[in-house]
Amino acid sequence: MKRAFLPAAGNSDEAYRIDTIRIALRMVSAHRLKFMKIVATIVAIFMHGSISQNVHAENGERGGESIRFGTDIVPILTRLGCNGGGCHGKASGQNGFMLSLLGFEPEFDYQTLVHEDRGRRIFPADPDRSLILLKATGRVPHGGGRLIDSSSDDYRVLRNWIAQGALPPAADDPRIERIEIAPAEAILERNREFALKVTAFFSDGSSRDVTEQAVYQTNEPAVGSADSEGKVKTANRPGLFAVMARFGDKVATFRGAVPFVTDPQRKARVDSELARLEKDAQASLVDRFLFRQWRRLAVIPSPPADDAAFLRRASIDICGTLPTPEETATFLADDRPDKRAALVDRLLERPEYAEYFAVKWADILRNRGSGYSTSRQRPGTTLFAGWIRDSLAENKPYDRFVTEILTATGSQTENPPTVWYRSVRKSSDYVESVAQAFLGVRIQCAQCHHHPSESWSQSDYYGLAAVFGRIGRKGGFADAEVPTDETIFLADSGQVRHPRTGEIEPPRALGSGPFRLSAGDDPRGRLAEWMSDPTNPFFARTMVNRMWAHFLGRGLIHPVDDARSTNPPTDPELLDALANDFATHGYDVKRLVRMITTSMAYGVSSEPVDGNRGDTQTFARFYPRRLSAEVLLDGLSQVLGVPTPFPGLPPGTRAIQLPDENVAAPFLDIFGRPARQTACECERVDAPSLNQALELINSSEIQRKLSAPEGFAARLAAESKSSKETAALAFVRVLGRPPSPDESKAAVAFLESEPDRVEASRSLLWSLLATAEFLFNH
Amino acid sequence: MRTHCESSTPAPRPGLSRRSLLRIGAPAIGLTLADLLQAESRAAADLGTSRQKSSRKSIIVFWTDGGLSQQDTYDPKPDAPAEYRGSFRPIATQVPGITVSEGIPHQSRIMKHLAIVRSVHHDNGIHAPSSHWMQTGYFGPTLARNAPQKPSFGSVISRTLGTRQPPMPAYVTIPKSEAFGYQGAVYLGKAHNPFEVGGDPNAAGFGVSNLSLPNGLSYESVNARRELLKRFDTLRRDIDESGAMEGLDVFKAQAMEMVAGDRMRQAFDIGAEDPRLRDRYGRHRYGQSALLARRLIEAGARCVNINTGNWDHHNEIDRGLEQHLPPLDRAIGALIEDLADRGMLEDVLVYCVGEFGRTPRINGDAGRDHWADSFSVMLAGGGVRGGTVIGASEKWGGSVFERPVSPLDLLATVYELLGIPLDTHYEDSSGRPTAITTGAPIRELIA
Repeated sequence: MKRAFLPAAGNSDEAYRIDTIRIALRMVSAHRLKFMKIVATIVAIFMHGSISQNVHAENGERGGESIRFGTDIVPILTRLGCNGGGCHGKASGQNGFMLSLLGFEPEFDYQTLVHEDRGRRIFPADPDRSLILLKATGRVPHGGGRLIDSSSDDYRVLRNWIAQGALPPAADDPRIERIEIAPAEAILERNREFALKVTAFFSDGSSRDVTEQAVYQTNEPAVGSADSEGKVKTANRPGLFAVMARFGDKVATFRGAVPFVTDPQRKARVDSELARLEKDAQASLVDRFLFRQWRRLAVIPSPPADDAAFLRRASIDICGTLPTPEETATFLADDRPDKRAALVDRLLERPEYAEYFAVKWADILRNRGSGYSTSRQRPGTTLFAGWIRDSLAENKPYDRFVTEILTATGSQTENPPTVWYRSVRKSSDYVESVAQAFLGVRIQCAQCHHHPSESWSQSDYYGLAAVFGRIGRKGGFADAEVPTDETIFLADSGQVRHPRTGEIEPPRALGSGPFRLSAGDDPRGRLAEWMSDPTNPFFARTMVNRMWAHFLGRGLIHPVDDARSTNPPTDPELLDALANDFATHGYDVKRLVRMITTSMAYGVSSEPVDGNRGDTQTFARFYPRRLSAEVLLDGLSQVLGVPTPFPGLPPGTRAIQLPDENVAAPFLDIFGRPARQTACECERVDAPSLNQALELINSSEIQRKLSAPEGFAARLAAESKSSKETAALAFVRVLGRPPSPDESKAAVAFLESEPDRVEASRSLLWSLLATAEFLFNH
Repeated sequence: MRTHCESSTPAPRPGLSRRSLLRIGAPAIGLTLADLLQAESRAAADLGTSRQKSSRKSIIVFWTDGGLSQQDTYDPKPDAPAEYRGSFRPIATQVPGITVSEGIPHQSRIMKHLAIVRSVHHDNGIHAPSSHWMQTGYFGPTLARNAPQKPSFGSVISRTLGTRQPPMPAYVTIPKSEAFGYQGAVYLGKAHNPFEVGGDPNAAGFGVSNLSLPNGLSYESVNARRELLKRFDTLRRDIDESGAMEGLDVFKAQAMEMVAGDRMRQAFDIGAEDPRLRDRYGRHRYGQSALLARRLIEAGARCVNINTGNWDHHNEIDRGLEQHLPPLDRAIGALIEDLADRGMLEDVLVYCVGEFGRTPRINGDAGRDHWADSFSVMLAGGGVRGGTVIGASEKWGGSVFERPVSPLDLLATVYELLGIPLDTHYEDSSGRPTAITTGAPIRELIA
């Protein structure tokens, strides 16, 4: 259908009427509007000359060109939130009116706006009486409230589109090819304002400023944010932030940095201090990028953590285990300059390294016990848990680890990673688990519609689903939630169709073309090859980011599994350097751990200094976090010398050795153990609660550990040591460091005032266990 | 263990966050909560801020999650056409001239205690942002189910007034906080998140774990341990910007006090109530939650929020209301009468509110949809002038007819009634001092 143009202002009403009739008649021929409505339109046009008068007066948009549904109307619906997921954009619509989410299907939206509901929503004969305008302006009751004013630009564009005959989207309408945000990056001072400019580029070669029509979202409002007009405002806090702009189905991102110091003189002092530190530090690859970021934000790193703090930190993060008093003594006495690197090497060879990281991977790989914990089913969970642990212990290259999971066939006894296919068993599970666990992408949105803040389409989603279209299952038994002990095989056929178009989606990876496959090829193998190609933009980056977040308390992309062009990394160069090193050195996980844990960021103190107070993004100091549920419980058992009994498991089993999340342990649940329902690490909760405090202070489990006759509290009381020696033993055992003279004095005074030696020993140990110093990794 | 809290409460501290207090050098643990509060108000006095007069007031909230129909409760429209007025007929109340729906007979009989506001409005019709609006006073995020931006009024009350009686938590939700996560503290600090009771007080065997001392542990030992902890818990608190350490500190102090006394355990022991009184409240989750709320307030809690519903009756609203409305009405009625009988009503504000109301017109599915253009809330006790109707919706209920009341006005009214100065500011996460409300209290309903 050809586009009609309104006559330029000054032409006669007559011309406009005739033009409108022509449009209306064209619609009749196209069967776009019901006949009655056309008649009404024509009649109205002749009866109310004043309508066209209004149109003339308000025909202010872009030189009289007609208004296009796809690029003019839909963005307004998006901007006003009409097609948002909480409103008419949700799958069931709202109050009988349904739009495609965020306007990704303009043809559908046109149908519902113009054709449904007896055409009341659009009333070309008297545009101001169109229901969408009456509702949006609140002139008739609207559940979504009053959204626009009748004097606004949005109103004018909507109204004029209707007045022009509510033209439908046409195949030759220009499409939005991309949008650009300017500037793309800026270094800003605190409490400043400046305007972003968003330009849309169309397939017909034209472009225009859409700053006012775009929608904005920010990721760190505490540092900087953008209002609905694209005006960026920095707050009174240094750091990094990003603003995403969306127009139609396209997004662009602005990255802002607010330095800690902006005064030129002070900045020069910071620069020279950083130069001195960098020279002294014999900076590693990672450190060079850290220094770059610190210079950019004019932030000074904290001094190195002391040896006892580093030993505790590395033992917890690599082995999930507190250092013993013997280990502490040895490490503190060691005076070799490379003792920290040597410690990391020793820790990586301990079985606890594999056990601890196996818990993390079992969370991500959803090795669930819930629903599988009958005696006939637990073997599968245990086999898979063991396979993960052994893979980590032998430092299996990460690409092979993932490939063996993805391409697994056979039974659980011959090939334990087939158990991954037990929890992950639907099309949506395959896609979402693979995307989130291995590619760091949350693609869930694209199952039903185009991803709202990324370029992923439904075709990307179902193309990835098609990779798993030929998964075959046989055998197994089903006396629980779902079958178990199935044999996984590659079936001869299995197609996946795009739910809207109904077309067959060929197997392909995110952003890649269709795989070229011959009959016998397993598409999963191709996916694994695509992933482990060193140039893959997701695979290595996701893993290095995940590990960075594990050791540093925050990912370079945060959250770790939410990589989007609209959620940029805080330090993209560092992320790329780590990913490149990982991919070009055989996906060697232990090498990656060494690189991270011997970096300056991992070695600095958690105590802020004046030059980095308030830093939460540049790793200029170590960010403390509470010990995870399993590490905390094991730590209590270790320190008090009384293991935690777990039902159905041999005595002495540690929490990091549990085969699944379904082993009953209320302590672990209270402290945030995840249920393994998704591949998201965010399922593990670290927020403090009153219930956690009650558990620490008053649970029978802690009291039992303190009171056990074979436990450390009783042994400490039974030894014939001086009070001073007793205090020192307790401090080193619990906190991994000797007491300060003041602490020693206080502990001695308490021990000597308490007549019951055993109770004294219990109370002393408890009071150390309840300190933040024990409960946190810092 | 009566404490200073009866005579003084910490002043709201513009510019002095709990975190900065901790930086000054008082790790919270080992301190009792009372010590902590005392230290806070001392620090506030040091900074020259005025000490605030004590508040004996507390609040019980019935949150009508999903949106309660105002036409079928507080604002009937008997003269509207059938598709508007619905199935409920109007009934006279205890107060001549005031009519409510027959759906709330218990409340109609105690109208002399109630103030009904019929002209509340805001500009959004989606659950999440509207919940955010009514909980915090500010419009919430719409693009996705985003994190909350502002603290809930319960958290503001907790932060500003603290608990009435340690070791009771200041802010409690029954059974849990609502689904959108907008009943939390956000930048006021994790310690002001609500304590979630976790269970249905009407269930057999209802209880909260870890409140009694385990075997072999004496109160003397608990006290000795607390003293020791005070000496040893010296890790610098400014190393943690996440709020986790500070939050756990406050919870530890609170937990210590809870177990050192019987107060908390007894408060939760709803079985100790006279069965006849339990019957009066109704043997239903709402009724027993209201009774538990009264017990928690008596024991010293400041704000108890009971989450009811879901009231999102898009289809067959009559069936939904038949199920939910009688127990809610009975619970509210019995609570207010019980508070009056005990002489507590002057000090305890009862507030029934949700994210919005429902469409005046019944839809094609015999339900009502979301409606924020004009809806009702109810307040009683705590210094409310009873027997009052504030504002009006227009004749079929579509919009406010007179005396528009905004969410910020409602917060201002609640804060005013509780004795919280309306110019109280707290720093948000960017360090910007942010007012707890910029609305105006509804003076006509304050006695």
